[in-house]
Amino acid sequence: MNMDKRSIAREVIRLRVQQMVVNEWYKAGRFKIPIHLGFGHEALAVAVSAVMGRGDWLFLTHRNIAYNLGREKSLKPFLDEYSLKPTGVAGGRFGSMNLIHPSRGILYTSSILANQFPVAVGSAFGFTVSDANGIAIVCGGDGAIEEGAFYESVLMAASIKAPILFLIENNEWSMHTSIRERRVDIDLKKLASSLGVLYVSLKGNNVFAYIQALARARKQILTSRAPLCIEVKVNTLGDWYDMKNPLYPQGKFVKYHTGASPSVMLSEEVVLQKNADDPLFVLGKLISEASVKKMAVQELAHIRKEMI
Amino acid sequence: MTYLSFLNCILRKEIATHTNLVVFGQNISAGSYLGGLTAGLSVPPESRIINTINAENSLVGFGFGLALSGTNAIFFMRQIDFLLLTTDQLVNTYNIIRNNPAGLPGSFTIMTTVIDQGYEGPQSSSNNLGDFCSLARIDAFTVTNKRDIEAIIPAQLVSPGFRIIAASPRLYKTDLLEPPLAYRSPTGNLFQYQEGNDTTIICFNLSFPYGYALAQAMQTKGLHPSLFSVNIPVPIKWNVILESVKKTKKLVIFDDSKSMNCSYYALLAEARLRFNLQKEIIITRHLGSDWLTPNSDQLEIDYQKVIKDIV
Ligand SMILES: Cc1ncc(C[n+]2csc(CCOP(=O)(O)OP(=O)(O)O)c2C)c(N)n1
Ligand SMILES: [Mg+2]
Repeated sequence: MNMDKRSIAREVIRLRVQQMVVNEWYKAGRFKIPIHLGFGHEALAVAVSAVMGRGDWLFLTHRNIAYNLGREKSLKPFLDEYSLKPTGVAGGRFGSMNLIHPSRGILYTSSILANQFPVAVGSAFGFTVSDANGIAIVCGGDGAIEEGAFYESVLMAASIKAPILFLIENNEWSMHTSIRERRVDIDLKKLASSLGVLYVSLKGNNVFAYIQALARARKQILTSRAPLCIEVKVNTLGDWYDMKNPLYPQGKFVKYHTGASPSVMLSEEVVLQKNADDPLFVLGKLISEASVKKMAVQELAHIRKEMI
Repeated sequence: MTYLSFLNCILRKEIATHTNLVVFGQNISAGSYLGGLTAGLSVPPESRIINTINAENSLVGFGFGLALSGTNAIFFMRQIDFLLLTTDQLVNTYNIIRNNPAGLPGSFTIMTTVIDQGYEGPQSSSNNLGDFCSLARIDAFTVTNKRDIEAIIPAQLVSPGFRIIAASPRLYKTDLLEPPLAYRSPTGNLFQYQEGNDTTIICFNLSFPYGYALAQAMQTKGLHPSLFSVNIPVPIKWNVILESVKKTKKLVIFDDSKSMNCSYYALLAEARLRFNLQKEIIITRHLGSDWLTPNSDQLEIDYQKVIKDIV
């Protein structure tokens, strides 16, 4: 990780603007495949990419776009992939839900909830077997940790000492159902510690703080050769109010899950929400709102140039 | 009326009448209501609707447990891909339960869909309900039109024992097909929609709309086919179909699955053995290396060419 503050900030903005372009293409009906956008996930995705070592592997979920963009600079190969063209980043063979990028460390991506956890434990243990210096980072949501495979994977990783980071993105929603509507709270700290696994909680979308915390966690995993669990509070942005639903003639709040977000418009105003739920808002407080806007304008100009 | 609104309407009607029923599944009373399938469900006060956690194998076990205790259960599962996580319960639990001659006192139905519009990539390569059911000889029913929905849902949704019912998301927004019904087997596994001597059309998995379109195109040309839909994974008794083939000696088979082991093989083998077939046309997926990449699952059929081939 050799990034100065400015390049880090630029990365966060890039992921926001690039996703906004994807969203516009999506609105225009240019994709036939489902894409799960990750507005609000940018700071975390940039931090993960920043701390990844050369040999580390990343295991992703259906909501992988921010991580994938984070590992590759240019947007065009993604637009091509989502349009299922051979010039896509994965040859147009994967679309979005299973998009991998092995040369950039993204080894496996699952659209089946929790399916990625045991696969990642296996690959992580491969580092132990070959005595290689690397860790596996596996992402999963608050919905995925409900699956038995999550518990089994943490137990397995703890028991065999696999160098793996379980990165749980808790956005409180599974599709259109909030945690409150589907289950009791899961105290991940207690669950992890009951298996002897270290637990760290992150929130606030400060990309610089996230990088520090993730770098510390990575170091800890490498020295202990044991798993660690980080739970990150995220708000997946892009919700809207649905006025068309016949069941709710007065309108109904729709939590963003997949598809194009009608509430997000492509513009230089990249902040979607004026609070800590939006990494771009937080960034504005850290470096200045004017710098964020300036870099957003530059990023947009860059994308326009790339597209011509 | 669309296929989806009719299906939703009949599901709502059925579910509203049952006491002692637990309806459960992920996102069934939130968001898009499984694409509209479960919109507006309500049950009498003695029954329950549960918006569950994501834990498929446990949810199927839960359904079997309810039915074992005499409480009826319906598990709404978005698509069969996620049911792949439940094979332990579907095979081991179901077989142990079945081995008891007393059987299941309650009803357990898994109401699901087979992803048949494509574009979901690797996860939707499994689109043959028959493959799924042959794991443990599970009864299953596909529904594609007004007649089979009307026959199958009221009879099967809540009825002692276990079964899977699968709908077709490809048809959700299309106009409901209302073909005239000529015959239906008592168990609802075989439907005949037309009787004619010119050829025998048989549809498997969720391919009925293609067969119906061919039958209609033939009729406009003054030709009269017999049209069948096999709504359950084989084996079934083919007699009614074979009687038709005996007359027509011409066979058109539709199967929209990507399986290596299609349900129509057994019928085709028997028809070839018994009759001197003059014509056999099989319209199915021609899979190259693209079978697990995201692409359209729609069969591209030139009906006029098929008719020419038959005649
Ligand atoms: C085994 C399985 N069950 C159900 C689904 C359908 N599904 C797709 S995404 C999703 C929500 C997952 O929630 P979470 O893990 O919190 O991720 P988020 O979408 O919130 O990022 C569900 C239920 C699935 N993909 N796999
Ligand atoms: Mg979530």
